[in-house]
Amino acid sequence: MDIQPKMPKSWNAATKPHKFCPGCGHGLILKALGQVIDEMGIQDRVVFGCDIGCSLLAWDFFNVDTVQTHHGRTTPVMVGIKKARPDRIVIAYMGDGGGYAIGSQHLVNAATRDDKITVILVNNTVYAMTGGQMAPTTMPGQKTETTPYGREVEQAGYPMMGPEMVAAITQEGAYVARGSVARFRKLKQYIRKALENQLAMRGFSFVEALSTCPTNWRTNAEKTWEFVEKKMTEQYPLGELKVPVVKEG
Amino acid sequence: MEKAATKKAISIDVHKGKAVFSIFPGLCKGCGLCREKCPEEALSWSEELGVYGTPTVVPDPEKCKACRICEQVCPDCAIAIVRKTGGDKD
Repeated sequence: MDIQPKMPKSWNAATKPHKFCPGCGHGLILKALGQVIDEMGIQDRVVFGCDIGCSLLAWDFFNVDTVQTHHGRTTPVMVGIKKARPDRIVIAYMGDGGGYAIGSQHLVNAATRDDKITVILVNNTVYAMTGGQMAPTTMPGQKTETTPYGREVEQAGYPMMGPEMVAAITQEGAYVARGSVARFRKLKQYIRKALENQLAMRGFSFVEALSTCPTNWRTNAEKTWEFVEKKMTEQYPLGELKVPVVKEG
Repeated sequence: MEKAATKKAISIDVHKGKAVFSIFPGLCKGCGLCREKCPEEALSWSEELGVYGTPTVVPDPEKCKACRICEQVCPDCAIAIVRKTGGDKD
């Protein structure tokens, strides 16, 4: 029996193994996304945009039209593609550095305008590609390269609660959720709902995915799961923050 | 370039021969996330090395119940479990 890897069909198998580090959560989130694209049968209509940072390593991940931009500008680029080609399903894929720090104005404005796009934002609490510096999502007390004694809120402020912010500034048709790679099926469900919300043209769809970064957290497999399941979910509660109001009839 | 992913799988019968556990050393990066998630603690490090020269995993055929959690949590799709009785749905 010739057994083949069970990759989603929308994945580009020729580029696997992918370029992410061992134990990186990006692989899991993109697996969930790939399975959702397969199940919805939308591979030929998807435009995938990845941001700078570790997320750009997804540039050859899928067999779909892909564009890579810098520092959160994936959001406005995807908005532009959606405006020009409303029949396309656009996915802006970015990390917390790109989406919440240098590119946060794009996220805020796209959410305020209620653009009909889907944003998947990967939160691993550090700037991973540049070596694990403190990011807007670094949790109080968390040790990073630039906060060797732990992030002190008096000096460095509080972490960014992205979905809560997006939920507050979007309109009624928006879908906002926070999933985790440790809850794979739930995360897949959230991504599916976010894409369906875009298909129905109800409003802005936003999914934050809590992810792992064993390389920069300097954790082994056991501690990696513990970090994402316990410490991160204490700071970042999982669940759907905003579900669109579906009009009857 | 012919990718390592196409390298043959190492397959082993598990769960009293009711399922086949396959590991693809060309995809496995040895992160160990599957080992931690296994409810039966059936996975251990293998002699076979993965794509980064790190150990891959091997299941204990007695302990493995083919629940497919390891397959689900593998970020690299390096594990494939096929149940001979069907029921491959999640």
